[in-house]
Amino acid sequence: MKLNRRDLLKAAAAAGALNVVWPLSAGLSPAQAREAAEALGADYDPAPFTLGIASGDPRPDSVVLWTRLAPEPLAAEQKLPEIVEVEWVVAADARLRRVVARGTVAASATLGHSVHVPVRGLRPGRHYWYGFRALGKRSRVGRTKTAPVGRVSSVRFAAANCQAFHDGFYAAHRGIARENVDFVMHLGDYIYEHGPVGGDHVRDHNAPEVLTLADYRVRHALYKGDASLREAHAAHPWFLTWDDHEVVNDYSGTGGGAPFMRRRAAAYQAWYEHMPHRDASDSALPDPEIHRVRRWGDLLELTILDLRSYRSAQNLPDGTILGGAQKEWLKRGVDRAGDAWHCWANSIMLSQLRGRPGGGYMFTDQWDGFLAERKEVLTHVHDAGLEDLVVITGDWHSAFVDDVRPDYDDASSPVIGTEFTAHSVTSGAYSADWNKTNGPLMGAANPHLQYFEGNRYGYDVYEVTPERWSTHMRVIGDRRDPVSPVTTLTTFHVDRGRAGAYEDEGTKGSPAQYRRPTGR
Amino acid sequence: MNLLVNGDAEAGPGGTAEPVTEVAGWRTVEGAPALVGYDVGGGYPTPADPGPAARGSRFFSGGNSPRTALVQDVRLPATGRVGRRAVDRGAVRFSVTAWLGGYAGQQDGARLSVEFRDADGTPLALAVLGPVAAAERAGRTGLVERTSSGTVPPGARTARALLVFTRAGGGTSNDGYADALSLTLTHHRGGRA
Repeated sequence: MKLNRRDLLKAAAAAGALNVVWPLSAGLSPAQAREAAEALGADYDPAPFTLGIASGDPRPDSVVLWTRLAPEPLAAEQKLPEIVEVEWVVAADARLRRVVARGTVAASATLGHSVHVPVRGLRPGRHYWYGFRALGKRSRVGRTKTAPVGRVSSVRFAAANCQAFHDGFYAAHRGIARENVDFVMHLGDYIYEHGPVGGDHVRDHNAPEVLTLADYRVRHALYKGDASLREAHAAHPWFLTWDDHEVVNDYSGTGGGAPFMRRRAAAYQAWYEHMPHRDASDSALPDPEIHRVRRWGDLLELTILDLRSYRSAQNLPDGTILGGAQKEWLKRGVDRAGDAWHCWANSIMLSQLRGRPGGGYMFTDQWDGFLAERKEVLTHVHDAGLEDLVVITGDWHSAFVDDVRPDYDDASSPVIGTEFTAHSVTSGAYSADWNKTNGPLMGAANPHLQYFEGNRYGYDVYEVTPERWSTHMRVIGDRRDPVSPVTTLTTFHVDRGRAGAYEDEGTKGSPAQYRRPTGR
Repeated sequence: MNLLVNGDAEAGPGGTAEPVTEVAGWRTVEGAPALVGYDVGGGYPTPADPGPAARGSRFFSGGNSPRTALVQDVRLPATGRVGRRAVDRGAVRFSVTAWLGGYAGQQDGARLSVEFRDADGTPLALAVLGPVAAAERAGRTGLVERTSSGTVPPGARTARALLVFTRAGGGTSNDGYADALSLTLTHHRGGRA
């Protein structure tokens, strides 16, 4: 890496030519593009495991292992045989000596030479280490963990969302990699689909808006060119859902014409090819099934929602964000729920959000565009007597804490849970001035809104015991610094059996643009 | 040999534009498909419109649901020149073919995908055909041929075909059309890397 990235970027930005300096803008071969990308701060694992390795969907006896062979990560087509045999190994130690499972799997060009290995026969609540070998090369070693069974005294997990490549480096993922957590939940907007943004950014997209399977593959590979993201994948098992930018801004998964449905299928396939996703459902690729319930012993029931694949258009009287089948599945799950913390992984804001008193909803792409269904589902939660509901949310690029109520327009509607909307990893928030002005306006307009902070970036860590749920808002100092240190901005708690969050006494004086004045 | 059962929409109930409750060989997982006769008319494809040469008497349509989906699980041959031993040597190729189409300038569409799975149901390879946009039909009602081929990945034991019809926007009729669907395997020399 001979070029000085900052000087190069500074010069390019001054010339208004970042997208010319940034690779692949025109005429570069994939190898040249990669070299240029690396000069500008991207890096990759050694070939062919350039994109790293990952594990996901931990269950008591199983995790899914993932990798993708991409010797030239930014090439639309890999110069590989159509089928490549990949060996995998799982061990009880980091040196992969105490092997507990191993095998081989075929990596097919039709799935971008990705492999997904659902390893079974593992023991619950255990760490395992894993690695791959292909084409005479070994991958790095990753660590994963199976879900426990029975009585569990604590679980810690992190949630990440919205990681626009051009908006900064993934210091937040570097922080996640170093957290002592059982798993990571990604809440969506893992990639963004648009072309280069130009201007004074630390890096940029490398190609115009992505439309085809080849395009989406290259875009995912570009994002995996941040070492911290690969590190976070290798450090912990992940659960995943998606939001809109994995396909295109604000899309509805239904009702589109053939050109859009083809694009959607390409995006979904590329997403699958790059994620440790377990897809064994009643459907099939290229329509992976994402929504699922997973349990962490008797302590946590994690309900992962898909708010994109089955939604209708917004603002229809009979509109749906879940789709009919997923809605009935969710309601049945509420009916059957046992005594545990019930966490919904929810890509886009559930709670009502008016911009100012007397004003309209800020965004009807979120649940505010599906009013009847929100009321139906939350009323069902209340009527079923479900307790200890915590909703974790992404999308907004700012942190919110909201009371969850079946009817947000009725002040007497009971509080039935708490929604924590997390800071984004990098994706740009509103300006500090906007936040300062609008935080209090949103607070005045939304009595259920407890907290708003929009000037920072990071992720959440949830520390859950039988007695208490704690949400730690981890923030980084500077998105432009790949190794920016992580601090805890504030912590909110929810006591078991008592709906409603309260802020930790030790951090309630931390900076925020809105705090509800009355509380517990 | 075509491993797909009733890929030509000729078997079982149907013949009109009315949705059917059962489709021979297929499992309806969403919506309500119709097996429409080429003689129905009324804007539906006819024997004179673009489509397979040997098109029989009927084709699949999405019926009257915004999304209709059919699934068919195929057990790959256990023995023979395209059996498991050949598959595991990387010596079997697949070919997936479908005639896919729609109505005039509308963007309703049909998509056929075939996922090759190992014995545990994990996807190992994928072929996706369509959906065909109106421009690819020159804005004309009819069906056009799409095909994909590749190596059946070692370890593959089943294939899941997913046939999806999508309606663009409002209206009632889901005018994604499909016919002459096939999945064939052939032996070839060579093997894996």
